[in-house]
Amino acid sequence: MSRIEAKKPSLCTSEPLTKEVVSYSLSVLSGILKSCYGPTGRLKQLHNGMGGYVRTTSQSSVLLGGLSITHPVLKVLTASVQNHISRFSDCGLFTAILCCSLVENFQKINFAACTVTKISRHLLSLCIDYLKSEACVCRIAVDFDSIKTLLSLVHSVLASKPACMLNKTETNHISTLVLKAFLLTIPHTVETNVVLGRCVIVPVKDKRVMDSTVFPGLLIEVPAFQLARTFPIKRISSSTIKMALFCISMSGDISNTGEGTVIVHHGISLEVAVLDQLLSLGKQLVNDQVGLVVCQKVIHPSLKVYLKEHHVITIDRIGVSMMEPLSQMTGSQPIASLHSLSPTYYGSLKDLRTESFGSKHFLHLIPSDTLVCSLILCNRNEMAWDELKVACQTAEHVLQLTIKQPLALLGGGCTETHLASYIRHKSFTLPTSALKAIDCSWTQYQLVADAFCHSLECVARCLEHDDCEILTDTVYGHFWSVQSEFPSDCNWSDLVLKCGCGIYSKQQNLNWRVLQSQCTPFTPQSCSNESFVNSTDHLVLDCFTAKCSGLQVAVETANLILDLSYIVEDQN
Amino acid sequence: MLACARRAVSMASAASLDLGQLAQEAEALASAVRGALGPRGGQVLLTRPTGETLFTRDGRRVLEALSLAPPTARMMVACVSMHHSMTGDGAKTFIILLAKLLRGLQAVLDKREGSPFCEDIQRGERHQRSCHSLKQISQSIMTFQTLLLDHVMAQDLRKHFLSAFSNWEGEISRDTIESILEAYFCGRIGYSDQKLLSQLSSDFYYKCIPFKNDRNEMLNLVNEYFVELHFAVTGLPVSNSRILEGLILPRDFAVYCPAGGDIRILIVTESIHSALSAPGLEFVINAEAQYQASQIWITKRTEAIMKHLQNSNIKVLLSSVKQQEIVIYYAKINGISIVECLSSEEISLLCKITGISPFIPTWDNIHSEISETMIAKFCQPLVVGSKRFVHLGLTRTCTFQPHCVIFCGPVHGVTEQHASAFHGAFKMLQQLFKAVDLTVHCSWQHSDTQQKSIMENISCNGDKVSDQQLKTCMAETEKQFIDSSWVGENPSCTQTVVQKSSNLAMPIENFERDFMFSALIHRGSSLRRVQKLPLKCKHPSEMWVKNTSETIVNNHGICNEAMTAKENTTTSVVSKEITAAKDFWKAGNPFNYEKSYKYTVQSYTNLVIQQGSVLPVGGNFEILLHYYLHSYAKQCQEPKITVVSTVIAEALLSIPKILYRTTNKNSFPQVYFKATSALRTNQQLPMSQQGLESVYCKYQLVVSVLHCLTKLLTIDLIIGIRRLPQKTEDNDSEDDL
Repeated sequence: MSRIEAKKPSLCTSEPLTKEVVSYSLSVLSGILKSCYGPTGRLKQLHNGMGGYVRTTSQSSVLLGGLSITHPVLKVLTASVQNHISRFSDCGLFTAILCCSLVENFQKINFAACTVTKISRHLLSLCIDYLKSEACVCRIAVDFDSIKTLLSLVHSVLASKPACMLNKTETNHISTLVLKAFLLTIPHTVETNVVLGRCVIVPVKDKRVMDSTVFPGLLIEVPAFQLARTFPIKRISSSTIKMALFCISMSGDISNTGEGTVIVHHGISLEVAVLDQLLSLGKQLVNDQVGLVVCQKVIHPSLKVYLKEHHVITIDRIGVSMMEPLSQMTGSQPIASLHSLSPTYYGSLKDLRTESFGSKHFLHLIPSDTLVCSLILCNRNEMAWDELKVACQTAEHVLQLTIKQPLALLGGGCTETHLASYIRHKSFTLPTSALKAIDCSWTQYQLVADAFCHSLECVARCLEHDDCEILTDTVYGHFWSVQSEFPSDCNWSDLVLKCGCGIYSKQQNLNWRVLQSQCTPFTPQSCSNESFVNSTDHLVLDCFTAKCSGLQVAVETANLILDLSYIVEDQN
Repeated sequence: MLACARRAVSMASAASLDLGQLAQEAEALASAVRGALGPRGGQVLLTRPTGETLFTRDGRRVLEALSLAPPTARMMVACVSMHHSMTGDGAKTFIILLAKLLRGLQAVLDKREGSPFCEDIQRGERHQRSCHSLKQISQSIMTFQTLLLDHVMAQDLRKHFLSAFSNWEGEISRDTIESILEAYFCGRIGYSDQKLLSQLSSDFYYKCIPFKNDRNEMLNLVNEYFVELHFAVTGLPVSNSRILEGLILPRDFAVYCPAGGDIRILIVTESIHSALSAPGLEFVINAEAQYQASQIWITKRTEAIMKHLQNSNIKVLLSSVKQQEIVIYYAKINGISIVECLSSEEISLLCKITGISPFIPTWDNIHSEISETMIAKFCQPLVVGSKRFVHLGLTRTCTFQPHCVIFCGPVHGVTEQHASAFHGAFKMLQQLFKAVDLTVHCSWQHSDTQQKSIMENISCNGDKVSDQQLKTCMAETEKQFIDSSWVGENPSCTQTVVQKSSNLAMPIENFERDFMFSALIHRGSSLRRVQKLPLKCKHPSEMWVKNTSETIVNNHGICNEAMTAKENTTTSVVSKEITAAKDFWKAGNPFNYEKSYKYTVQSYTNLVIQQGSVLPVGGNFEILLHYYLHSYAKQCQEPKITVVSTVIAEALLSIPKILYRTTNKNSFPQVYFKATSALRTNQQLPMSQQGLESVYCKYQLVVSVLHCLTKLLTIDLIIGIRRLPQKTEDNDSEDDL
């Protein structure tokens, strides 16, 4: 009874967005996120102040997971970014920064929330329709005949994670490995329902990054003493090893006896009975010429010894996570019965080898059909390894998303600036019928559109952290950055080299202006794609699906936050 | 013992009910939801103790989240919750109306002089006095609700109602459904997604309903199993929300074996693999070989069952329990997919849709044919977000075409809001198709108002009413008495009563009110039919059709006449309504009102609110009820009722006041002025907004608020106790000993 406490009344706040605490904490959060963005982003160190694990990072997934946010408004923001990351892995910082700046910019114009919502909704649909249309010039089709664009995608993901501590050659090396591993997981025969294989990342933390490598098949770590006692394996033919995969315990324990009572007479040992069964199973395995027995759970030592005597290799305790790739790779069905073995459920391996990396020893299971591969990822530093692992997983996810929708967006801030100039142009020439449908005035629309474009440009601006001036050209609407220490009398054209994504270099017909300065709207144009196809350098590319969804989520979340009229906080 | 009881009372803290404090509490609650009311309302963000955040515009959620301490405030919230869970709508309006009513009553009590509630007792303590007047107010409110409200609804408001149906069979057009749903979502979710959700829900409505007649069953099923019919995906834009054909089970296959064509599915609720011993049984092991043999036997049995399932062409096994690995192994061998761990709700939904019962494997039926199976067009994995689900395309066997909704949103708080609003919308639709039957209340009123003075005499109608009908009326009155006293009766019994009562020359003044009279006549006619036909038809439109064939002229004429006793002729009323409807239609309304409106007018029968009655949104109901209550109060002779109806009429206006708080074009005084001047000249109300709302919901809301109010006012002392109130007291007998 004493444990029952009266519920505390809740804390209510009306018009929360006008409160200073919200705008202050929002600006702090957006400051943290903005400074992390891009290849030159600043790193953040997360620690709990009590000697716990310290993590250095610039990635949104780690950062937002680590920050403990208390204000409900910010909780909504971070939760929506985290949900986005869990779906797409990429473009988390983009979404978060865009959302923050949208909230800030829309608050400045101070219209009724429903007007802003309606107009920004319309602007968003303009953006999405444009990005999904053929006329869009800030996206490129991914060509699967050459690995160039795919490699650029992976490279852009890795390069934007400075906390991985990779230099240029290392980035190239890892990019190639990630792409190679991904290609290994694509099945050779394409049916209607394509199921990609798996890439298992194996950590080796005491070697150089350049020692990282990819193996087709699975690497299963075994203790060194077990490796030393390996023997010539029993083969069916020179390139086939028969294997059996068990998903039940082979430890000889008594299986469930039901809810009633079981009476065992004195002198009868059920353990012996079960072991007898196990040994007879072993006998059958040997008769069936099985060379390798893998068990998800534990194998009884007697059975192990028996199998070893007959030159059958046993691996046990591999865990449930390895079962799926193993069965996928070898074609063996997990066996759940100790009584009846059907020979059709055995799988086959091409070869079995032993490998050692640094201090670790592995059994390397080589399948005849590669659907599963192991990426051995090395990095000297534990923190950098963690960061690299997340980056590699992101890159893999980006490749998977790209296969579903073979498009990529220009990165390096070019998509944002281009989209901003497109929206400026579109909103300037908006027909009055559209305004009537939204039920707002032309001025209202212009102001909201301006805030929207401003927020997009703000995201692009965050790419530069060193004292740089950001320019945009008035033909393509791309992103160009120049060092700020320039003589006052020189031309912009003397300073610029290449746009953010690397697709355009300095041209005669281009004019530049400072980003976010006033200008007359223009139609962003395209040029032939030849220039980039021929260039040897990497382009900076972003995942199309992730960025589109990130854009939508950011606008929707900003609208949700602006629409808040009341907060009720439960104090219990 | 007595001393003991006294001590107990003195220990507890007791406080008398203070109307001012009640009003204050209700106002505090109302202020939390006021900002979220109406189409321009904002969102409320709730945080839970677990740290989750939730967006909402649902008044019930907000009020419950406030967790206020005063017991009376908690009681108000409980009333709101109850009302909301019934109708899916109106929580915000409820508390605002309640707050206004309490404040209005307090003003009446404070005035003292001239108040009908204070004159009775002059002596006694102040507390006693206030208590007494509160009690009296609550009684008058009860009388108002049971007698007057239906009267005003039937006599005055009804002519303004529109029908949502586009024809006689009660079909409802897509435009109408959409405008009703859009109006609903306007008050429930953020601006940006209103259009999307109203389209989604009307799609869902039309996709799920195979025949228009099974509407109510479908709505019941959707409301009961809504949890199983939707699921949420976070991290995707809201625009990805969609409707999928078939059902989704939110878990992956334990085994998946692709199959084509018509797939036979079996439901099991227990483990297929039997254990060594069953509960209540002993299993004795005599030898090791015996143990091994029994293990092998069990395995063989499982194998045999799975083999039998395969031979019976079963492709999918839906199990409510986790099956053993060995079962999964044999399922895979036999090409049977298994889905495990279905909740009991999912099982009951599946059984309800397909009409089958779960399969229980025993020795006997291993070899017999399996009949209890369902057929699916497909059964495949579905990847949404990053999770894998089971997608089941059942072929329909009942009144529900299986479909489900996927809600997408950036955060959980949004998808949950959308899901609950969607659910609420279907509850609201369920209410839309309900009707209020005057006769239901009549039997009540009858006994209630026996002793009341007769306000209007209907003898002027007497000469138009044929003798035979009068007789049946009397018989009906008699029957009502029996009804109200809960006497079970059979037809023969009624017959005798009819005979008896027709012999008794009952004074005509006993038929108290005109509206009741109409209802009685109607009931009378249906009673006659009951005597002829053994089955009584329940569907109102059907009933009407049957009535027409019998006594169309008399019956209908009298109904209308009785209802509009002050008017001279029936025909003039009807024709006026029709011309009004025509005007309304000419005004460029998107819906075909003429037809539907005629229907409404023609079928003035025994219903206060017809099935599918709607009114345009934007406080129209409140303004109408306000206007007619006001005009009623002016004529009313009974001072208590006058006061109560004035207070209620004033309180009703607070809703449109809030709705029109921000718009510059339509400020509240303008809207109100336009509406009342239109009413004075007997014109249709001006319509400023698209969108319709169910009259039944609104009516129910007013009734619920009044109930809550009477409940609050009848409390005289609030006693704080230390322990939880106990429902039963068993130790009384011990004390006596």
